[in-house]
Amino acid sequence: MNDGRNIDSSLGVLSGEGSEQHVSSDRVEGQTQALEVWTGLPEPPGQEPTYYDRPLLKQPVWKWDIPSYYFLGGAAGAALALGAASQFRQPALYLLMKRCHWIGVIASSLGGALLIHDLGRPERFLAMMRVFRPTSPMNMGVWILSSAAPLGVSAAVFGGRRGLLGGYGKSANYGAGLFGVALATYTGVLVSNTAIPVWYQSRRVLPILFGGSGMASAVSILDLFPEDPASSRVRFLCGTAGRITELAAGVAMERQVAKIPQVARPLRTGASGFLWRTAMVLTATSLVISMLPAKGRWKRQYSGAFGILGSVAMRFAVHFAGVRSSRDPRASFQDQRSHQLRHQIT
Amino acid sequence: MPTTTEQPISNRKGFFTDTTLCIGCKACEVACKQWNQLPDDGMNFTGMSYDNTVSLGASSWRHVAFIERPVALSNQDAGAFSWLFSSDVCKHCARAGCLESCPTGAIVRTEFDSVYVQPDVCNGCGYCIVNCPFGVIDRREDDGRAWKCTLCYDRLKDNATPACAKACPTDSIQFGDLDELRTRAQKRVSDLHENGLPEAYLYGANAKDQPGTEGLNAFFLLLDKPEVYNLPPDPVVPTKRAAESWRSMAFAALGMAAVVVGSVLAERNGVRR
Repeated sequence: MNDGRNIDSSLGVLSGEGSEQHVSSDRVEGQTQALEVWTGLPEPPGQEPTYYDRPLLKQPVWKWDIPSYYFLGGAAGAALALGAASQFRQPALYLLMKRCHWIGVIASSLGGALLIHDLGRPERFLAMMRVFRPTSPMNMGVWILSSAAPLGVSAAVFGGRRGLLGGYGKSANYGAGLFGVALATYTGVLVSNTAIPVWYQSRRVLPILFGGSGMASAVSILDLFPEDPASSRVRFLCGTAGRITELAAGVAMERQVAKIPQVARPLRTGASGFLWRTAMVLTATSLVISMLPAKGRWKRQYSGAFGILGSVAMRFAVHFAGVRSSRDPRASFQDQRSHQLRHQIT
Repeated sequence: MPTTTEQPISNRKGFFTDTTLCIGCKACEVACKQWNQLPDDGMNFTGMSYDNTVSLGASSWRHVAFIERPVALSNQDAGAFSWLFSSDVCKHCARAGCLESCPTGAIVRTEFDSVYVQPDVCNGCGYCIVNCPFGVIDRREDDGRAWKCTLCYDRLKDNATPACAKACPTDSIQFGDLDELRTRAQKRVSDLHENGLPEAYLYGANAKDQPGTEGLNAFFLLLDKPEVYNLPPDPVVPTKRAAESWRSMAFAALGMAAVVVGSVLAERNGVRR
């Protein structure tokens, strides 16, 4: 079998450090990668040098599941937080609490499934829980998610009951709320704790952007349910706060990265820039509709639908902006040069 | 009696890659592939001088960069041209972004102070890949796990030199105790300065040179800006600045808690419907 190692198994033994590396069986002899051939001058004059414009960084290997998880985790976390808060006003907000619990449970379970699906070796997902490692936001996130989701299930099943089980449901509800706020915001740390310029430079804004977006999407999902008059004011207040935070943090993030034009490019140009603008417009539309003085089911549902679309588009825009940023060596170079001027040689 | 005598090994091992000695023969790439039994990456033609490896990756743990510059070195007088070669490798940073961000603990620091990925633990989450400021570690699509240079961990345990350094015909890749390598590298730089190459300097030799990584266990002697070799001019391990985003997260989480509790309490005090 030719696995790219050219080792005859009757003569040699595969025992090297990299020998375990799996090569797909459908590889074709003499295959080529679709690389663009460099035809220009090695170092075009008048430009800051790069190595044949090849990326400095590796591109994120994450696919669509991860930005989808940002959305689901954000919605789940904010819903669990709102569910816990509605415990303060029972039974008036009972329906809101129940809905929040189930949104939290379903979204966090789906999110967890997406996280496992995205792994290169999904069967090893439990390896995430063999350590507790505060330096790794991803490890912290696994602990947050795996605390919030079961507490959310307990709150959903036992919340509002009487007796001992009811007491358990009530404490689980508060616990789920605490882990919920962490679940909705930690993804901002996860994304910015990377070497990718546009993500790294937004590290102070991303947790706030993602938190606001989580709140906005939780309320937007609630808006799609049949009307619950008792909670309309709570939903309006939370939704407005979430949407305004999302928009304000979005503007702040653009400003933050604009200090280095090359870093800001993915948010301004191309498909990721278009998606980013679309997201802002969708969220703003949702905010405006929710503020209209009119009454009626359409208002709630349109505001909810635009809010959900806005949040989803924002998560994907941040993801694709990072992918583009990782491919651009000049973004890293200019960003780092702006901080120091030590290695001035030629 | 088969006693393995406890040798007094200085723990910290590393590479000093002196790019002035590199002749671009790629013996290091071949030796690495052979010893570690790495699969090939397909056949490419890139048009990038003689570099068809392109970059480090899951199955390329050494990569020789070929740089054609329209500038002569200061000790050359044959016209405006110079050809630089540099054998790139995992830097085994003193503070490693991949290691600190690894959520499974698959990436560990070995007794030789190198950074090692345990293939039997790694579950391919891909977080180390975005955390490496040098773009070294990568995931092979068909394998699903993260891979990179091991500093020939298996050879080091037998007191042998890593394959690339062993194969290097010009001693451009030097392996040894870090302290000794640093002294040797400093001497080499001052020798080069005396011999008409004032542009020679060390890249990442210690924490003072490169505070963002606190020094590289595989450091380099370069003749031009780091960018020319596709090396970052001032890399920072992302986890070094993580406190800033955790602080923002705490702020966001408190804000969210205040909003949900506040709006529910406002309902209690509000007008009854």
